[in-house]
Amino acid sequence: MKIYLITICVILICYIGTATAEEPRAGFVKNVSGQAFIERNKVMVPAKVKDRLMANDILVTGQTGSMGLILQDNSVMSLGSNTRLVISKFMFEPADAKLSFVAQIKKGTVVYLTGLIAKLNHGGVRFETPAVVCGIRGTHFAIKVEDPGN
Amino acid sequence: MKDKLLMRMRKITIFLLLLVLLMSGCAPTTQIVLLPDPDGKVGILEVSNVKGAQTLNHAWQATESASMDRTPSEPKILEEQNVRQVFREALAAEPIPPANFIIYFKTDRATLSTESLSVLAKVIEAIQVRKSTDIIVSGHTDAVGSGDYNRRLSLRRARAVTDILVARGIDRENIQITYHGKGNPLVPTPDGVPEPRNRRVDITVR
Repeated sequence: MKIYLITICVILICYIGTATAEEPRAGFVKNVSGQAFIERNKVMVPAKVKDRLMANDILVTGQTGSMGLILQDNSVMSLGSNTRLVISKFMFEPADAKLSFVAQIKKGTVVYLTGLIAKLNHGGVRFETPAVVCGIRGTHFAIKVEDPGN
Repeated sequence: MKDKLLMRMRKITIFLLLLVLLMSGCAPTTQIVLLPDPDGKVGILEVSNVKGAQTLNHAWQATESASMDRTPSEPKILEEQNVRQVFREALAAEPIPPANFIIYFKTDRATLSTESLSVLAKVIEAIQVRKSTDIIVSGHTDAVGSGDYNRRLSLRRARAVTDILVARGIDRENIQITYHGKGNPLVPTPDGVPEPRNRRVDITVR
């Protein structure tokens, strides 16, 4: 019985530990021009330099917008106008071998230069579009997805 | 009479053809282009969907696909200037990649050598070029001495570097200090082994 209670306590402590831990950061905004936004939990706010990025954020630019981002693994990404990109997954914990970055490009233009995730985990970086999946071994590339609304 | 019917059918056919063309135009075509790295090297990209896969391994080589059930097209090398035009906004917004620097220290010391000071000049240049507001300074030691002592020593090293950067005009608010003691060595060694390459401060400028 005692062991049972201790186990429950340990599980609870672990749970509280994860619940209060700060949401891991995926990167930050390095530059912004024109209409550029971060959509988080269905709320869209204008992106500003130094803004933090997190997994599940959606990056959105309007007709005149663009933005540049630096991710935690020192990879570099930028978006042209009329672009929508979802950071579906971002894990950069080299000590625990948790290394992955998955992005979905719904529309627009994106340029990406790989960082440590791609270097340490072959197959760890993936870009998905409505038509293809890009597995990135390295290192620098551009993707354009036509706007389905046009 | 027959002619009229034929004309009408033709018109309908043309209309249907146009409609099909229009609809296929609606599919969100993906185009992927492999770019040379900033240092001129060229990487490898695998583009795939349920129908097939293509590998890109030349600069300015591209493939396209209109949907998941169409094989990505045969890779083709595009004109550099056309690619630069299509992606001009994203390329203009592309940040300079982060830069890393290492500053080495003598045994048990947290003072910088003349050589280290010249590395710091490069660090400051990297900060200015990037207008960096995100500088990480992390202190390390080798495996000689106690854990506690080395944690303090690694912090002193990181602070020494930070103080010089601040004295040279870098905003302290933009610098994050971390210290690792004997943790995260550049060259792993057994405990107690001196290793000059581990007596260091790593600096990342983003």
